[in-house]
Amino acid sequence: QPFKQRKSLASRKEEVIGIKAKFPTKIPVIVERYSREKYLPLLDKTKFLVPKDLSMMQFINIIRNRMNLSATQAFYLLVNNKSLASMSLTIAELYRDHKDEDGFLYMTYASQEMFG
Amino acid sequence: MLRCGQMIFAQALLCRHIGRDWRWEKQKPQGEYLNILAAFLDKKDSYYSIHQIAQMGVGEGKYIGQWYGPNTVAQVLRKLSAFDQWSSIAVHIAMDNTVVTDEIRRLCRTETRGTEAVYNGHSDACDTSFQWKPLVLLIPLRLGLSEINEAYIETLKHCFMLPQSLGVIGGRPNSAHYFIGYVGDELIYLDPHTTQLAVESSNSCLIEDESFHCQHPPCRMHVSEIDPSIAVGFFCSSDEDFENWCQHMRKLSLTGGALPMFEVVDHLPLHLSNPDVLNLTPDSSDADRLDRFFDSEDEEFEILSF
Repeated sequence: QPFKQRKSLASRKEEVIGIKAKFPTKIPVIVERYSREKYLPLLDKTKFLVPKDLSMMQFINIIRNRMNLSATQAFYLLVNNKSLASMSLTIAELYRDHKDEDGFLYMTYASQEMFG
Repeated sequence: MLRCGQMIFAQALLCRHIGRDWRWEKQKPQGEYLNILAAFLDKKDSYYSIHQIAQMGVGEGKYIGQWYGPNTVAQVLRKLSAFDQWSSIAVHIAMDNTVVTDEIRRLCRTETRGTEAVYNGHSDACDTSFQWKPLVLLIPLRLGLSEINEAYIETLKHCFMLPQSLGVIGGRPNSAHYFIGYVGDELIYLDPHTTQLAVESSNSCLIEDESFHCQHPPCRMHVSEIDPSIAVGFFCSSDEDFENWCQHMRKLSLTGGALPMFEVVDHLPLHLSNPDVLNLTPDSSDADRLDRFFDSEDEEFEILSF
């Protein structure tokens, strides 16, 4: 079940306020696997605290490394289930433009569909 | 998807050897056109035969007969092109929705030396000139999860209008298609799901080529029906052609409204001032070093630190 459906909006908001007070220089990010993804493994964590200055390229490479993906394997991180982020943006810039009303930044990862 | 990979690559080879303006006429195949047909014959030893594509896919983690995605077939074609000295093309697959132009220039510029004059161990730089290998650029993308994000549709359409366009490989759920253009809100595509007799060629001088071409008008579908997993293809015959393409793409990213599908940058974006970040090289496979960047303090959150 996706994180958003496991917790109420109020408790998610509360969590963000708490974690931001504790880690003011980090951004709370939720990273989940697309429900119909068949090839990429599950990450053992879904909640990340990411340094503001980390670029999307670096963030993606950290996750690629975690999954032991080779450089030629397809891996996409979609912001708000919709769009690919520019690799040169920082997490803070993405957060500014795409944060959820609960205060988290949501990303979903997927590879590519296969066709016959 | 294997056949669609052949289709977009055949278009690339047409651009490479005969030119984009070439049109099929019913006549006995000859010259470079005949060579292109031969490269795709259903035979073990043709450069880009279905046998070669399936076999090379094993290295990409696909067993024979398994379905491919657009990225898989692009990676396989790139590997196969290394054996095709006749075409002598550079194939680049831009990963992570980012086209790094420096990488491409490095790949395409090949040194040619007139005379190999060497003085005191230093080669004579005067005779060194650079040649541009024709470029096949494939960009695998995912423009949404279950359906294409509408914000990408105008950009996708725009790609077909560029003189360097090779079209798009992708499909709709389960079926691979080769998209070659659009009209209004409809995409025009070729569908390889037609069974035909294999073309036999006892000697390669005689190839019946009718089944290589479309016997009926191409199909159409509404652009919103395309599956979000695609690979966009371009062919740049020369240095100038590539610069022209870069300019087109940069201009497109500046026009408001449409969302860019990928980014064109000169270098890998590692411009951040923090020196620790710079040590975190993107192609680092050193998992141990990366682990230093993770230190869990909180029970639930994974905390990433420099």
